[in-house]
Amino acid sequence: MYWENYYLPETVDEVLKHLKDSNGNTRIMAGGTDLMILVRKGMVKTQGIIDIGNIKELKYIREEGKYIKIGALTTHSQLAESALLKKKARVLALAAGCVGSPQIRNAGTIGGNIVNAHSAADTAIALTALNAQARIKGPEGEKEKPLSELYTGVGKSFVDPTKEIITEFVFETPGENESTAFMRHAKRKALALPILNLGVWLKTNSGKNILEDVRIAVGPMDYKPLRAVETENMLKGQPLTEKTLKSAQETIIKEIKPRDSFQGRAAYKTDMVKVFLARAIVEAVGDLGGRIDG
Amino acid sequence: MVKKTINLNVNGKQYELEVEPDIKLVDLIREKIGLTGTKIGCNNGECGACTILLEGEPVASCMMPAFKAHGKNIITVEGLGTAQNLHPLQKAFLAYGAVQCGFCTPGMLMSAKALLDKNLTPTEQDIRQSISGNLCRCTGYKKIVDAILAAAAELRGEHEVKWPVTTGEDVVGSSVTRVDGIPKVTGESKFANDYYFPNMAYAQALRSAHPHALIKNIDIEKAQALAGVLGVYTSKDIPGPNIVGIMPHIKDTPVLAGDKVRHYGDAVALVVAESAEIAEEALRMINVDYEPLPGVFSVEDAIKEDAPKVHEGGNMLLHRKMYRGDIEKGFSEAAVIVEDNFKTRMNEHAYIEPEAGVALYEGGILKVYTITQGAHYHRGEIAVNLKLPVSKVRVIQTTTGGGFGGKIDVSLQVLVALAAFKTGRPVKMAYSREESMITSTKRHPYYMHYKIGARSDGKLTAVQAEIYGDTGAYGSHGPGVLTRTAASIVGPYEVDNLKVDAYCVYTNNPVAGAMRAFGSPQASIAYEALMDELAQKLGISAVEIRRINGYKKGSVIPTGQVLTDGVGFMETFERVVEKSGFNR
Repeated sequence: MYWENYYLPETVDEVLKHLKDSNGNTRIMAGGTDLMILVRKGMVKTQGIIDIGNIKELKYIREEGKYIKIGALTTHSQLAESALLKKKARVLALAAGCVGSPQIRNAGTIGGNIVNAHSAADTAIALTALNAQARIKGPEGEKEKPLSELYTGVGKSFVDPTKEIITEFVFETPGENESTAFMRHAKRKALALPILNLGVWLKTNSGKNILEDVRIAVGPMDYKPLRAVETENMLKGQPLTEKTLKSAQETIIKEIKPRDSFQGRAAYKTDMVKVFLARAIVEAVGDLGGRIDG
Repeated sequence: MVKKTINLNVNGKQYELEVEPDIKLVDLIREKIGLTGTKIGCNNGECGACTILLEGEPVASCMMPAFKAHGKNIITVEGLGTAQNLHPLQKAFLAYGAVQCGFCTPGMLMSAKALLDKNLTPTEQDIRQSISGNLCRCTGYKKIVDAILAAAAELRGEHEVKWPVTTGEDVVGSSVTRVDGIPKVTGESKFANDYYFPNMAYAQALRSAHPHALIKNIDIEKAQALAGVLGVYTSKDIPGPNIVGIMPHIKDTPVLAGDKVRHYGDAVALVVAESAEIAEEALRMINVDYEPLPGVFSVEDAIKEDAPKVHEGGNMLLHRKMYRGDIEKGFSEAAVIVEDNFKTRMNEHAYIEPEAGVALYEGGILKVYTITQGAHYHRGEIAVNLKLPVSKVRVIQTTTGGGFGGKIDVSLQVLVALAAFKTGRPVKMAYSREESMITSTKRHPYYMHYKIGARSDGKLTAVQAEIYGDTGAYGSHGPGVLTRTAASIVGPYEVDNLKVDAYCVYTNNPVAGAMRAFGSPQASIAYEALMDELAQKLGISAVEIRRINGYKKGSVIPTGQVLTDGVGFMETFERVVEKSGFNR
């Protein structure tokens, strides 16, 4: 027996009420693609499930003012197929399209992917590169947290699904001379955890030959998506040349700490990070119509 | 548990059902609605056999609580087309040979339908993407992709899929319609887990907690007392000798381990209960007192003189010698000699259908519906271990969802038979993917030392090899596999002088047995690499050295057999060279 109670609320307010009434022994389920496995294996125990799958108010991708806002119940398929994301924040559409398989993407949601707190979750890498904030509703009201603060340990989320709910992700819409890219390296094209995934957001000057600003997110390296801050600082203000890319490659391998895992050895990941960082920058710059000078 | 009402529409029909609040969608579809076309392959959302369409989108029903479908529309394979009125996808799957074992077929069809519902002009890439969550172990996907392309063409109104395939009486040399094809594309085929009988009980086995340990005591009292438990059985409850083994002279595998466990897959107790969930709960209440023993986990360790013994007779199960000609003379004639060590890994068959069976004991006849690649062998083992005359045991092979050699050995057949025999109830036993992985046989991991010599014109003169196969805790087909390796020690290449020592060794690893090509693939890794090396050293091409040595009419193989007819190697090889364009 997995659980005794099953609720299918239609509004966020109903969710909050169920959470309050159940006093910590009932938990939220979004798509359930990770949670069902954990429950079946006895790794998560709960008396009840609050299935938030029917809450229409949490399913959207829209642009509002300077921001793109994404409802937490948006599925990976919806993200991957979103014309808005493909045009303005491709890193997220591409990342979502890499998750699991079509079956998983049709059920799994971005909110679930983040609360599951896997450091190399593809959407987490993308949201980190986009410098996204999560909006969380709980008993004490509403709060906003940067994505990087949602991880408290290996597989542990700041968000407690027996008490609170992520409702939305928000990030600044990439504007003029800004672009993104997503790279993923895995043993197979479907149903394989990444050996390495990497998201980049960058901004060039109007001449598209100087990198003004950049954010680089890498997984799986740490208990949370790793921001390659030293590499970012090194890159800022640099001309877009092969030499700059080489320096970035040398810098990033000093600040990442990959581990040996089923997916690949640390030494291999280190080699591959160089390749994928360069590819990501080339692709993002290329998207802006710029190029890397020899 | 308080039941809840669920409303849903399946294949156009509205259902209102009272069900447990934690029931999964796949179980609701299969057990409450009775549509068993939707399969369970992994219970992890990895294999895609359980794919259904929820509001038109493919989802893994094994990962989904049923209530996620409350108020929604579902399509299963049964909603696609009927035997009399096949959907173009179903016709195309049959016409293009995309249906083999049939177990992945329903899920595959659902993913394909979802694609074609949105896109009638898919590229091959679109198709591969759409079925990327559906695993198939038989076809290699090519035929499935071709079938979906053909179905799309028919749906666009361009050209119809040619169906049925068989025309006229003369079927020799032409494609024929698969005899069991139609039920496999409509979901009507009954695999072992699709059998349900009134009053059916469920059996589950407790697996070893150690790779090597003595069993001091098994306390089943608590488990037996659990409400809904019909019986808990240990080795003492088996009427016969409690031993099986596919090679008649190597009966070394207990049905239920009595005094010792030799790997994690050993069953130590069997629970029969009113439901699989109760049986699982009872398993956790069985207390086994083990005395762990040091184990051996590699051939290197197992053959050491002071190695812990997996079986009383020692760890060396077989030493197969294949000596022919004069090995020293052979090497003395060689212009070049190459030598190296090779190691291959264990492989899992990973048939998409896990092991399952249902047994009934009625009117003195024990009937077992089960997956199998050897019904007669299984019947014999059941009869011996239950002390029944063979004439009172019937093993009925159900449609079997992939085997590749892995379903030849006894898995759950004697256990489920015992359960029915003891309780008098129809009993079902179905492995989870995890249990299947732990218990099933594997391809033997090999350690190989090779030395091959060749004349300056490229002709092989001598082969010397020592081969060690890790057969795990039990013999299974091990001796046969190692013998086959010895007999095809340089695959399809002629050599007159050879000295092969092949050893089959027990360890505390998972059991290795029969798997596609039975001992030949491991050797090919070694000799093909060395053939390339020889060619390089002799300054001839990799293609040429194989032409010189390849089996032809009149060739003598390592066993001394002369090949007189239908050799086929050179023809195949030349076609490969031609098609691949490889010529180095």
